[in-house]
Amino acid sequence: MTPSAPLRLALVAAAIGAVWGVALPWLGRCPMIVRHVTAMESRDVNPAAMYYTELDRLPLRPSWIEDRVVLWP
Amino acid sequence: MGVATRRVGLHEDTAATVIGLAIVAMALAVTWWACPAERPASREKWPKGWPTPLSRTIDKPQTWSDSPLASFRDKQGKPVAVPILLGGAWVVAVAVAGASLGGRPVARMLPGAAALAVLAALAYLLSAQQVIHFYNLEYPLWALMIGVLLGNVVGVPPWLERALAGEFLIKTGLVVFGAEVLVGRLLELGLPGLLTAWVVTPIVLVTTYWCGVHIMKIPSKSLCMVISADMSVCGVSAAIATGAACRAKKEELSLAIGLSLLFTVIMMVAMPPAIGWLGLDPIVGGAWIGGTIDATGAVVAAGESLGKEAGEVAATVKMIQNSMIGIIAFAVAVYWAGWVDHSGGPRRGSLLAEAWRRFPRFILGFLAASIACSWLFSLSPAHALWVDGTTTGFTSRLRGWLFCSGFVCMGLQTNFRELAPVLASGRPLVLYVGGQCLNLVLTLAMASLTFGWLFRKAVEP
Repeated sequence: MTPSAPLRLALVAAAIGAVWGVALPWLGRCPMIVRHVTAMESRDVNPAAMYYTELDRLPLRPSWIEDRVVLWP
Repeated sequence: MGVATRRVGLHEDTAATVIGLAIVAMALAVTWWACPAERPASREKWPKGWPTPLSRTIDKPQTWSDSPLASFRDKQGKPVAVPILLGGAWVVAVAVAGASLGGRPVARMLPGAAALAVLAALAYLLSAQQVIHFYNLEYPLWALMIGVLLGNVVGVPPWLERALAGEFLIKTGLVVFGAEVLVGRLLELGLPGLLTAWVVTPIVLVTTYWCGVHIMKIPSKSLCMVISADMSVCGVSAAIATGAACRAKKEELSLAIGLSLLFTVIMMVAMPPAIGWLGLDPIVGGAWIGGTIDATGAVVAAGESLGKEAGEVAATVKMIQNSMIGIIAFAVAVYWAGWVDHSGGPRRGSLLAEAWRRFPRFILGFLAASIACSWLFSLSPAHALWVDGTTTGFTSRLRGWLFCSGFVCMGLQTNFRELAPVLASGRPLVLYVGGQCLNLVLTLAMASLTFGWLFRKAVEP
């Protein structure tokens, strides 16, 4: 017998709750993940940015680059 | 006998263009009105542009680790629940405006539009979990997942179905997105940057598409195009823009985005150690990362792990590549309308007239926003800060909400059974991997040539 729609919804919500409420917080305490997150946070990096306007710092031409690379030969 | 009434409305593309351009114009006007009195032309004072009052009307859930309640406070501990709520209200307002201009009854779709905004907020909340956020599994994935789960497990009730206007929301988001695509940014790294981003990208895009259609014989040309564009240009944003330009199916766009996000995570983790192992110069390594990893955030994350300089070069190369979206979306739309899309029946009149008939008109709105903001940006340093403030403080956030709710709609309407034969063959995956390998080889060659040798200055002793 197929469960009713409210029951199916409750099951989906419980699955999402288990993954996001228990599994991911637990994973977030693993040393490898902690190192990655700490490194990103300390450098103010937003790895989830889809486009450059979503970055915490706009990627403008680095001040040192003209000393190292010929930009317009 | 009753009197028949016929509601006359604008075409979806026209409505998206009108609403998108109106939003950009309103945002620019409000930011100009709130121009800062102190040093308005100073990039040091305003690194992300002028602050806009509109930023207080929209935000998204912030990164959280254990309790989702933490997502309603920003890094400084300031509550952001109201701007998040208002972000959902913007989605409802755009959906209502679209229905109104399209001649559809507004009152009947209001509850569905509100529910859509709630589901988009939920997708944002899931994507803000710390592990998800810092490994670049962006919100489109979760918006699609929520939609697919609800659509397939519970079903879509009629009151929600009436508000499902995913294509309209994404098209409006793309027109608003045009304000962020600034042509002037292309010159940020001079000729080496242009060569790295502009020579390799079109070659990889065209070659991958051609291989997908002619060698791998993938039946859907639009699937080949979306995979080629998201892999060679800049991931999800390029997939959305080209997918709309070539009228890709929802399932095809979902598949391309899934592939892009999966390989972005792998490349973000694998490329920095590979660069160390190859012993590449950090500048060359940064340019290689910027030209190959799909998503901007992942580029910065991978680049920064090679060092500050590599991170800056990687981000700037990616930004140059980002700026190609407008031109590529326009080129794809013209190519599709003229040579590929025969859905509108047999050809009528000249090729040009036929191409115009089939052309997705909202792309013109996208280009208009891009050209107008690029022109304003080029006028003076103060104008550049005006445009930057408008886009970083408002339009990029609204565009995110519109894309997110559009992806929820797509998930609710997606029928993955249609893609089953293509998925089972594994050909889209092979196409992505093959194209990405070509991208990696060509970008490394060009970055080594331009940043490592041709235009490299001897460092002063």
